[in-house]
Amino acid sequence: MPELTIETKMIGESSCLIKLSGFLDAHTFEQLDEAISDLFDRDVFRVIADLSGVEYISSAGAGVFIGSLATAQESGGDIVLVNPTINVREVFDLLGLSQIFAIVNNLNEAAAKFK
Amino acid sequence: MPGHVHKELVAPNDTRHLVKIREVVQEAAAQVPFDKREVGRIVLAVDEAVSNIMEHAYEDQENNEGDIRVTIDADCSKMEVVICDSGKEFNPESIQVPDISEHVQRGKKKGLGIFLMRQIMDEVKYTFVQGIRNELRMVKYVRSQGGGDSCQS
Repeated sequence: MPELTIETKMIGESSCLIKLSGFLDAHTFEQLDEAISDLFDRDVFRVIADLSGVEYISSAGAGVFIGSLATAQESGGDIVLVNPTINVREVFDLLGLSQIFAIVNNLNEAAAKFK
Repeated sequence: MPGHVHKELVAPNDTRHLVKIREVVQEAAAQVPFDKREVGRIVLAVDEAVSNIMEHAYEDQENNEGDIRVTIDADCSKMEVVICDSGKEFNPESIQVPDISEHVQRGKKKGLGIFLMRQIMDEVKYTFVQGIRNELRMVKYVRSQGGGDSCQS
């Protein structure tokens, strides 16, 4: 199994679903960083990150979301995190990110954030 | 649990080896009377420490080459992890507590690992011996539910 799998799917013209699976750590975070940077380069600032398949995240992985949030919001978008696993939620809580990010339970709730 | 758990591994300075390091730490921590959540946190703390070393310690070396040694000793009362490298000095104790809001505002992506290490582990002590090595020693104590001796059966 690859250490990190990233699948992207455009939702309309201005939103993108990024589905992540595997480990998001100091070895793999650059893949996510590149994927989000690529979206920003295409003026896509509404990002829905499905974290239900992320088994492990470290600060390197969380840092990608932290470092990208302001750009997304300043450009009229946001980064919405969907259904993080217990392990991922734990790290967000330790970092105090649960108050900063929109974290929702499913894709419908995520889509509603952009209506 | 067995009376004493000892594990040691030496990994090259390459983030590809983080998965293996996490596995070894997880196996050791699972033998100590920590709950599942604490095991996950300890794995995270060690991963953060090693990731930090991999980013900084050998950046002046040709091809960033170097080794990182992780030594684990545990018993029913605590788990101690000692991480050594022979790269340049980097004292995590000099890093201040980060302001997450500032990270967000400035788009900062790094600098949170040491904060996590300190939050999770009960002791974090750094020693640098010029020309020899950096040594980071982290300890997590077992907290028994009754507040008594966690080594009692």
